Amino acid sequence: MSAILHIIEYDVRNFFRYKWWLVGLISMNLADLFIMAIVYNQMLSSDVMKEIGSYFNFFAPGLAVTGLFASAFMIGREVNMERRREVHHYMLSLPMTRMELAIGRVLSGGMRGMIYMSPLLLTCFIFLRFPTIWQLLVILAVLFLLAMGISGLSIAIAVSTSSLEKFITARGLVYYTLFFCSSVFYPLSLIEGLGKDGKFPMVLVTLAEVNPLSGASDMIRSFLLVGYPPFSYASILNVVVFSAVFTFSAAFAYIKIIERK
Amino acid sequence: MRAIWFVSQIALFGLIASRMMSIPNYFQYYVAGLSVMTLYSAAIFIGFDIYEEAEHGVFEYLLSLPVSRKQLVLGRSIGGGLRAFIYVGPLIALSLYVIGATNPLSFLVALFALFLFSFGVSGMSITIAVIIKSSDRFDILMGVLDALIVRLSTAMYPLAVVQAANPLYGGLASFNPVTYAADLFRWGTGIEAIITLSNPLWPLLGIIAFFAFFTFFGVIIYDRRIEGGGWQ
Repeated sequence: MSAILHIIEYDVRNFFRYKWWLVGLISMNLADLFIMAIVYNQMLSSDVMKEIGSYFNFFAPGLAVTGLFASAFMIGREVNMERRREVHHYMLSLPMTRMELAIGRVLSGGMRGMIYMSPLLLTCFIFLRFPTIWQLLVILAVLFLLAMGISGLSIAIAVSTSSLEKFITARGLVYYTLFFCSSVFYPLSLIEGLGKDGKFPMVLVTLAEVNPLSGASDMIRSFLLVGYPPFSYASILNVVVFSAVFTFSAAFAYIKIIERK
Repeated sequence: MRAIWFVSQIALFGLIASRMMSIPNYFQYYVAGLSVMTLYSAAIFIGFDIYEEAEHGVFEYLLSLPVSRKQLVLGRSIGGGLRAFIYVGPLIALSLYVIGATNPLSFLVALFALFLFSFGVSGMSITIAVIIKSSDRFDILMGVLDALIVRLSTAMYPLAVVQAANPLYGGLASFNPVTYAADLFRWGTGIEAIITLSNPLWPLLGIIAFFAFFTFFGVIIYDRRIEGGGWQ
């Protein structure tokens, strides 16, 4: 256990080395909320307006989830760099088991996501409303599971790609597919409507429905917005399954691949 | 990476978001704005190259070349803008395929404006890079600038909507080179009905002023700051 804590401490310290990058990212997130969302509010069609009420309120929880995603994904870049520069030999020489090392990396990625996301979530509470204590605990638990799953996904990609370019390309594909095929930016009903009209591939509609980013965003919305969308256990289940699959597959891939010569 | 971003923005975000908006033909509007946003971020990259050159000692080599400082900065801004244009060219072609261009003359004027815009952004990036001389600070400033310049422009939404949302945002968007470039590009491709561009001369003059300011101001700043080291 103490070995895992050491790994978490190492990764969290590393995270704050990117403070300038973090300031840039957070300012972009806030610009999205306080400029883009406010302007989009004026452009919504009456049907969508009837469904979601206000785009600012709709988007704020989604923004917290995108912030969580971007920051939890950062661990993959470091793991990829360690692999390319062969720092992983040093990591393997540390007095801890491979499983402790792998679990520590996944956990720390998740922790970093939570740290970064906290001010965005707080902004969301301030402008929408504060949840009850139980709702808050559920939100934090689900978001932590999501952050772990994202961190795991990122590590799995990082150890499976041999160069930075391949990692960045794979990251781009995952990033944009998961971001845009989700209910982070627009209601799920819109994507489903496009699918029914044959204007959007059904496979992407299904992806949007089971996407953990949709699940987490809609869960926060169900607590903070009145009446939209209704709370669903299925969305939490999606996040739990995603997290379990990627946490364990990343730990397994990390152990197997970094031991290769 | 940028190509993936561009295509996914069109095929996923643009397509779905256009369903959400009350503005007719928002998809075409968005695709045109996206081309300008991509051009902007590609042209900014020259500043990062300057830091890499300083780190690897290429700067000293460039200073030793038999060219004046003015020629050096002018060449770099034009080179930076040109390479951004070449890089974004296929993406602009893709967006033209989506939007279509009705008047070739208008389109050529718009293309010329985009060239100047691209050179101006490169000049701005070089100027800021040599003023700051710290890659970390440059990185953050460019991130913040990108967030504000792009969002406070008409790249994603018409000026009338920005003004209705917040008069301050509208005021800032009216004096933004990204607004000028996006509006001219839309005018050039024939979708100006959505943007209600009364006179394309104003945005064109705005872009020329932007290009001239950052190219010539860049020359002066470059000349003063280039020597003496201090790169971080």
